[in-house]
Parts: sequence; C-alpha cells; structure tokens
Amino acid sequence: MAHTKSHHWRVANRREFFTQAGSGLAAMALASLMAEDAAAAVDPLDPKPPHVSPRAKAVIFCFMEGGPSHVDLFDPKPALEKYIGQQVPASFHPETLGVTGFGTNKNGLMPSKRVFKQHGQSGLWISDWLPSIAEHADDLAVIRSCQSDAVNHVGGVCEMNTGDILAGRPSLGAWVTYGLGSAKRNLPTFVVMQDDKEILGGVQNYGSGFLPATYQGTLFRGGSTPILNLNPQAGTIDAQARRRLDFLKELNTRFSLDKQDDSELDARTRSYELAFQMQSAAPEAVDLSGESEATKKLYGMDEPETSVYGANCLMARRLVERGVRFVEVYSGSGSRWDAHSDLASNHTQNCKSSDKPVAGLLADLKSRGMLKDTLVVWGGEFGRTPFFQGALNEKAGRDHNPWGFTMFMAGGGVKGGQTIGSTDELGLRAEDEPHHIWDIHASILYLLGLDHLKTTFMHNGRAERPTRTGGNLITKLWA
Amino acid sequence: MRWVSGILGLALLGSVMYAAEPTFSDSQRNWWAFKPVAKAAVPAVRNQTWVKTPIDAFVLAGLEAKNLAPNPPADRRTLLRRVSIDLTGLPPTEDEIQQFLNDKSPGAWDRQIDRLLASPRYGERWARHWLDVARYADSNGFKADETRPNIWRYRDYVIKAFNDDKPYDRFVREQIAGDELYPGDPEALVAMGFNRHWIDETNAAGLRTRRQETLDDITNTTGATFLGMTVACARCHDHKYDPITHKDYYRLQAFFANTSYGDGPLPVGDPVERAKYEEQKKTWEEKTKDIRAEMAAILEPLRKSKVEGGIKTFEDEVQEAILMDPSKRNPFQQMMWHTASSRLTFDEEPDARTLRTLKGDSGTRYAELKKQLAAFDSIRPAPRPIGQFMIDISAEAPPVYTLKNGNWQNAGDEVKPGFLSILAPGDAVITRPAGMNSTGRRSALAAWLTDPANPLPARVMVNRIWQHHFGRGIVATPGDFGRTGTKPTHPELLDYLAARFVEDGWSIKKMHRLILLSNAYQESSASQPAGAKADPDGKLLWRFPRQRIDAEALRDSMLFVSGQLNPKMGGPGVFPPVPAGVLSELSATAAAGGWQTEKDPAQMNRRSVYIFVRRNLRYPMLQEFDSANTFESAHTRSNTVTPAQALDLLNSDLMSQWARSFAGRVLNETGAQAIPAKQIARAFNLAYGREATAEELETAAAFLGEQTKILESRFASDDKAKPPMPDKVPAGMPPARAAAFVDLSQMLLASNEFLYVN
Repeated sequence: MAHTKSHHWRVANRREFFTQAGSGLAAMALASLMAEDAAAAVDPLDPKPPHVSPRAKAVIFCFMEGGPSHVDLFDPKPALEKYIGQQVPASFHPETLGVTGFGTNKNGLMPSKRVFKQHGQSGLWISDWLPSIAEHADDLAVIRSCQSDAVNHVGGVCEMNTGDILAGRPSLGAWVTYGLGSAKRNLPTFVVMQDDKEILGGVQNYGSGFLPATYQGTLFRGGSTPILNLNPQAGTIDAQARRRLDFLKELNTRFSLDKQDDSELDARTRSYELAFQMQSAAPEAVDLSGESEATKKLYGMDEPETSVYGANCLMARRLVERGVRFVEVYSGSGSRWDAHSDLASNHTQNCKSSDKPVAGLLADLKSRGMLKDTLVVWGGEFGRTPFFQGALNEKAGRDHNPWGFTMFMAGGGVKGGQTIGSTDELGLRAEDEPHHIWDIHASILYLLGLDHLKTTFMHNGRAERPTRTGGNLITKLWA
Repeated sequence: MRWVSGILGLALLGSVMYAAEPTFSDSQRNWWAFKPVAKAAVPAVRNQTWVKTPIDAFVLAGLEAKNLAPNPPADRRTLLRRVSIDLTGLPPTEDEIQQFLNDKSPGAWDRQIDRLLASPRYGERWARHWLDVARYADSNGFKADETRPNIWRYRDYVIKAFNDDKPYDRFVREQIAGDELYPGDPEALVAMGFNRHWIDETNAAGLRTRRQETLDDITNTTGATFLGMTVACARCHDHKYDPITHKDYYRLQAFFANTSYGDGPLPVGDPVERAKYEEQKKTWEEKTKDIRAEMAAILEPLRKSKVEGGIKTFEDEVQEAILMDPSKRNPFQQMMWHTASSRLTFDEEPDARTLRTLKGDSGTRYAELKKQLAAFDSIRPAPRPIGQFMIDISAEAPPVYTLKNGNWQNAGDEVKPGFLSILAPGDAVITRPAGMNSTGRRSALAAWLTDPANPLPARVMVNRIWQHHFGRGIVATPGDFGRTGTKPTHPELLDYLAARFVEDGWSIKKMHRLILLSNAYQESSASQPAGAKADPDGKLLWRFPRQRIDAEALRDSMLFVSGQLNPKMGGPGVFPPVPAGVLSELSATAAAGGWQTEKDPAQMNRRSVYIFVRRNLRYPMLQEFDSANTFESAHTRSNTVTPAQALDLLNSDLMSQWARSFAGRVLNETGAQAIPAKQIARAFNLAYGREATAEELETAAAFLGEQTKILESRFASDDKAKPPMPDKVPAGMPPARAAAFVDLSQMLLASNEFLYVN
C-alpha cells in the first residue's frame, strides 16, 4: 500500500507511535482503540499541535556555565554584613546542607562587594556587574528561588539540561523537538553553541536520551561550516556534487521500484535532498556579514571581550528567525563561571563578556518585534554560597549553591519587571516559592505550548516526561 | 496495602503505593510472562509442505488464522547476503556466493549456516548485541570519564563465549557469580566485568549517593537483562504496572550489597602453573620484605595526606569510617572505605608528581631502595594481566533497607536477599562459599537466573536471539515483559523456543540453526496485497522484514567491500580518526586519555566492536547510525533517518577514503584498459553481491561519462585543489575518469541497496 508520509524510525505506524508517545493510561487506551486502524506512518519531525496556546515560538537559553553568584548579581543580602566571617548560624540549620562541592560549609559568611541598585520602572535589584542587562529590567522576570539537586557541575549542568543529575535522559531541547516537531527542515531544530571549552559532561547535555536520535541537539562549530560533514570533500565542485546526488537518486529509485510500500526507503532518499539544502542554509544562517555594523555593535562584537559571545547571541537570533526552536548559547562553556577563588576577577571577566551581548540580544529581538514570541532564559546550573572559599580576603571565592539561586526569563509571553520567590536572609536557601529545575522546565515548555505532563514517551515501562516526577508551573511568569 | 490491579491500578497514577506484605491478584499471577514455560504441541496447519521446522508451523498457524499465506523464499543471493550480515555483520564474498549458487545438493543452506556460525566473525557480531544490553563502555562516564584500561577483556570474553557457544546458563552464572562459582578461573573473573560497567563519578562529592547509584545501576541492569522486567520502576515505590514491590527491588539489590570493584591481577588458570606462580611470588616477597617495608614507611606520610586530602567533601559518617581503625570497621564502614579507596590510595607507589614531593634524605633513600628492589626482578614472577571486575569485598554484607523515593536518606525496613516475590516469595537461601571471603549471595541469584523453572530467563534470551534475526522480537520490548511492554506476537512459539533452548543445553548456536533453517526466515521481503492489508506491520511474518543494517555492520561492510578491513581480533580498544572539530570538544577528558588517534592505518580499520567506547564520545559515525547509548542497558536501538546521516555518507572523510579504496580496488582488478561496463559490473558485484542489469549498466555508464566531463573541466582549470582520487590509479587512466569512478563507488556504498538487508 502506498503511504503519503514516511516514517523515520522504528515506530512503524500511528498505533505504535501512540503506544510510545502517549501518556500512560491514555496511551494504552489509544493503543487498543487504534488496533484496527490502518497504518499511517508518522514523520517524527512533522510539526505537532501544541497542548495549550503557545506564547513563545522559540527559546534562547543563555547558559552561564559554572554557576554565577546570585548574591553578587540579582539577590542582594545586606544581612551578610552583620554575619561577616561567622559560620552559618544554627538557626539556618547548616547541618542539613550535607555535602558541599568543596566541603566549605563551615566557612564564614561573606557579604557582596558589589553595588546594588534598583532599575527601571519596576525597580528590580541588579548589581553593577550587569549594567547593560539592568537597562532591560522591566522586561525581566527574575526568579530568586531556583533549586537544583546537584552539588557539582557535571550533575548540575546535566540537571539544568535534562532534569536529572545522572546523564542519559533527553535534554529539554530534545523534548521540545519531540513535542512540537520541526518548523523548518533545512536547519536543525535544536542548536547548541559554546564560546570556550566543551560543556562539562559533553554531548549528554543536548542528547536525546531514550528518545530517538532524531531529536538530539546539534552542536554548531565555529567558522562557516557549523555542522559536521556539511561541506563536500575538498576539491569537489558543485556540479560534481549535484550530479553525484542525482546518480544516487537513480540508484535508490530503481531499488524502490518493487518496494513502493516501504516508506523508510523513500524517507532516506529524501533525506539526501534535505542534507543538500542544509549545505546552503546552515552557512547562510551563521554568516554575519550581512548584519549592519550597528547591529554588531549592539551585541558588542566591536569589542574584544564581548565579540565571541556577542557573535553567538547574534547567531542565535538569526537561527530563531529562520525557524530554529531551541538555541542554547553557553557563556563560559567548560565551567568558566566557577569562581572558587578570586570571585572578583572571575565574575568581572565573565559578566563583562556576557552582559552586553545578552542585553544586545534583548534589544535586537525587541526592535524586530521578535521578543514577544522568543523566550530568553538566563542562568547557570546553580548559584554560589554566601560563605567564602579560600580565605576571607580580596581573593576569596564562593562554593556551589544548589539550594537557592537566581535565573531570569524575558520575552516569549513573560511578564517583565517582576521578582519571583526569595532566598533566606543569607541567600543560602530558597525560602518563598521555591522552584526546582523541573518547575523551570515545566514553565518553559508551557510557554512553548507544551503541557509537561502530556509530553511523554514510553520507556522501559514508564511514561517518561521531561520533569521526571515533579514540575509545577510558575504561573506568575505569565499571569 | 493491597495490590490494586488492572484499570483501577492504572488510574492511581498519582498516588504512590507501598505493599507491606504483597498479595497478588489472579490477573497478576496469570500474566503471561509469569506463567511456567509450557511447550505447546506443534500446531496443525493446512499447508503442511511449507513446514520445515516446528517454527514454521507456529508462524503458519498465525497466518492461516488470518487467511494469509507466507511469501515464497527469497533467491539464493538475497538469502546468503541476509544470513551473512545477520551472523557475521559482513556481506558474503564473491567466492562464497558462487559456491552457494553452485551447490545443488541437499543441505546447501544448512552448510552455509554452519560455515558462518563457525566463523570468528560470528562472535564479533553477536557479542555486540550482548554488549548493548551490558551497557559496555571503556570509560567511567561523567566529567572525568576516565579510561577503564582493562575492561576490554570483558568484551573479548563475550566474543569468545559466543564463538565457543558457551551454554547460556554457564554464561549467566559466570557474569553474576563467576568469582564464587569458578574460583581460580580467570575467564569467570573477567566475566564479572558485566556488573562493573556502571557509570561512575569517581570524584563525586558525596560518597553515599555515589554508592547508591552504583547499586541501583546493577539492580536495574540485572532485572532488565535476565528477567526482562523493568524493576527500576520499583526503586521509589511499588511498580505501578507490574507486580514488583518496592521491597522486591531492595531484595534484589541485597544480592549485590557487598559487591564493589575487584580490579586486579587475574589468577593463573592452570592449577600447577598457579602453584608455581604462588611459590615464586612468595619467595620474592620474603626476600624483599625488609626493603618493601622501609619503602612503605617512607611513603606513609604521602598515603596519609592523600587520604586526608581526598575525604573533605564526604558525609561525616563516611569520613569517620575512613579515618577509623580498619579492624573496627563494620561491613558498612568497610564498604565506604572500599568505595572511596580508589580516590584515596595508591598501589605500590604514587604517581610521579606526588613521588617528587619526597624531599631530602627520604627521597634519596627511597630511590636507593627502589634500585635494591629492582635487583630482585629476575626472581619476581612476571606480572599477571590485570582485569576489571566486580566481587564481594568480604563475607559479611552491610544491611540493606528499602529506600523511600530511592533516597538513601529515607531508609525504611531492612530486607534480606530475595527474588521477585510473585515468583519466589520469602528470603533466598544463601550458603557462604567455603574458604572464600565472599557472601555467597550472588551464587544464589545465579542459580535462580538459570533455573529452568524460572519462567523468565530462557524466554528473555530466546526472544533476544529472535529479535536480531528478524529485526523485532516475538516480544517487541525485549527488556520489558511486563504490562507496559508489548505482548508476544506468537506466545506458543516463544514458549516452544524457550523450552527447546533449555533442552538443547542452553546452546545459542543450536537456537540460531533452528531459526535459520525455518522457511519463515527464508521468505522474501517483497510486499503482498493481502498481507499488507491484514497485517501492515508484518508482525505475523507473511514476509521477511527488510532492515537497515546497524551502525557497526554498516561501517564494517564498507571497510570490507573497499578491501580495507583488518580482521585482527581482540585487545585494547582502538581509536580510529574522528572528524575534525570533534576532538577539541573532548578537552575535558583529554587528561584522562581522551582520544589518541591510531598512527597505524591497519589499526584504524579494525572491526567496529573493537573501537574504544568512550562514554563522552561515542564514535561519531556509529552514533550517527543509532549505536547504543552506553549509560544504561539498551535492549533495542532506534532506527533513524536523518540529514546528518546523509551528510555523513555524502561528505565525510571516512566515506571518501573508503570510496577511494573501493574505486582503486575495482579499477586495478579490472585494468586500465577495461571498458566502463566491465568496471561498473565489477563494482556492482562487490557492493551488492549481484550482477548489474543492462539498464543499470547504462545508467551508471551515463553517469560516469557525464561526471568525467565535469571533472575534465576541473582538471583543466587553474584550481589546485583536486577531487578525491582512487588509492591507486591504474597507469594510463585519465585522472578525470578515475575521479569519476570514486564518485560512482561512493554512491554505491551510500545507496539503499547497500544499507538495507532484503
């Protein structure tokens, strides 16, 4: 029988697709209801209808890898002055902290040396380390009560990406691709960019886990050929590549003559055309030469400290413009924000290199009318402790703090100029409205139109979802 | 709380259930997978002539019930390609095809199967299937992703086990309790690598979490591998769909409560040789006793500081366990020490950098002593090969508790080792093995996992064998025989095969023969209207399912056809080149060994099963084509079609290299003067194992002509960059023609006919 559409993976038909893709009980009911249904193949990247009305079309996740210090950036804690040098007071139950990344939980508390001011109409508190982002205060929803389970980076980065400190689960971008399909087929749907070393934990952070590999993120490499094997072999010319491809099509068409029912063969034949289109679409998307000088300047591309991250942020905007749904732009990839010692110079450098580019991205999106349906997320895998690491002097650092830290969101239907949740007096633990990473993920999915409870995939006997066993919507973000 | 079954149970998705004393409902007890294996009578069918083996009767009965007829057999070329790739992961050679085509005597097919099963390539192919389930990898995972330098012996063990047709029950016993059941047997100890493949964060801040994650990994893997049960779902609470209690999970885990790394020298297998070795070792130890004692004394401060430096982030109780008098440690404290020790200790000597911190007299003295010790090297026995495996660390296991939500901080009741209570309630009977420093727990588990009365293990394994022959198991979810899995398409056949498997001494090769000799396996893959309408997925096997060849077979076949495959077996994992750009992403693990690309081209062209499995860098081409994720058991692989695969086949260095070799091979074998048709025919023959049709010859010749013209203009231009050329261009062949033939060769390798088995 002839199929109009093709399937791309082991799910051979609609029935099987729902068996794996539906949620628990519903899936089983569907599986039996559809048992008599004729096979209709499903292309796993076909656009799928959202569960709720989407507010955002795309996400740009500015990932500050290594853990930015919330108490020095967004969450002022004047009380630390009075406890300076003292251990965490007993009333804050330091004994229940358990393990810290570097065993510093008996160190003294250290106030911030930054100057905090209120910004915009809304009066959001932002320190002088982020002067450009501060100009967009009224667009930001600052969540001060984020929580993670990880005491170290690999687990933390992994959890921020996949919802679990252990590697192997699908990343959020993969779930989004799975849940919504692909808007544009000549570019990957989920793109990751690094500005320095490898992300700690590597590919697992943008992998597809138990979802089919179709949904994994694509790491864009620097230069004009962002995708692996994008360019024909050196010395090959266009006419040669085209003629070769035509010959391949002739071979495949002949092979399929008596196999018309096999849609997978057809899909494979077509995948070469798609690859061919990608060969021109991807280099075009990362080619910044057509951008005006003013735009480049907006992202700080004219300054050495901000040129790398600025270019990546600009590329992120171009990708989103071209239909890419999920872009992760790492600042300090390979854990550069990890300020165990000399917090002052570490964060001065990292804030400098990312502040203007992120602000430029917000401004550029806004002026193009894209901010309203592009969600920008800012944050690291955790924050930093209010107690010092090393010695309490100008070279002091701070340890990892997964118990309470700050992230912000802007655009994509988010109500700006608000602060959500709080940490305790020390900035140690989330206090009001604590939000686990799963809440963050559930909310990002919601803004994209996906109900995290309905975004499920049957795996080893469980209807797995992005938020594992949790996830509460942070409704204040849009309500 | 009682078990709630059926729809009501499913409706309670939100609530968490814990059974105190499980009582199971009839529907749970009668779930097909828990019922004893019943060897059904071979069914009667109308078309008796089609029944070649009992398998055919079961398959045909299913088809006839739907008024379907099986496809006629595939032709011999197709069949030989199918079975060659199936059993060895490589296409047949021209000679093998001719030999089969010319063999008109009865039993020709049987002889091909026997030949392929006897080939060492068979073990390399089928070991890979098992390695997927075993989550085999050559590195730890996590950030550091350190190399496991000796774990490859486990991979070689599996290859040898398949080649030797090691009975499956023995294979299981060796991997679960080889140390206890076959003491002194180095092979059985290497087999204990099975549960040494957990992902491991050696520098984890918290030791208790790390330890619990290891135990969970072992429990989950064991449950899914041998029982086909998703026991992992019971880690946090009672399983929501299957009758596996929260307590059962920790009963199963308790078999492994006292296990940890046993990495070290492998014993000498032969008892006489072993005695000799021990004697020699003893003599050396006696003669060097004083020297070594003094060396140890010098190193003592370094040892101490390594311990003190390494424990800072550990939980208080763990620090206490590590710092206390070793003789006073209870089993739990011993386990904590043992788990941490890889980070806190060094063997004979610390690394060179630490050693250099020995200053002044002690440094000088240490160097002197080292020299003195070396003087005894001539009487020191040759060092034993090192293995990586898991063992019990003592005869007394720490207690095991149920852990609410899987969190070690929420310990509940203490549990004893026990099996799935729906099949075997009550505690397992444990006998401590005489004269061994081991609990004997895993021996009891191994006995249950190979007990013919246990309905799961034989069913699970024959289903895996079937799965790899037909591309889909009789149960399509080979790691999940529970309610969320799929039901068997041919339950009686599954039971028949499970029973036969045990009767035939758990012989995997006999099971292959039984399946491959059937007419069901030999059907053509062509479509037929009646079948497509009544059974669109072909689950009833009215045809043989066409399949894309898997990642390893794809790479190996390309190497083979292009004449590059190096058949060398065994040894440490190899590092073939990876695309430019990928290595720089590996910076974080470079210190731990990274990816040291082979210098010897022959090593680059080894079979894929020997490629080093780095968890943080799966070999890109294999990953592209859906090789297994190594972080947990993989029971099936995805089958994706992606533009990234297309880019790989069109543009990668590897493809270009193989195409150049392939083209060079064809052009040199046929000669520079050969007419294009002859060269094309040869290329088709090598790639597809068949003659090209007249029409194909014409199409290909047209391509070759046009591509040569395009390339002529290229060669005439000033551009210095030259297109890929055949490895050896025959004398007198115009370069444009030679380059065009590389393109033709590459497209044959990239085409669907090469990628799919009919």
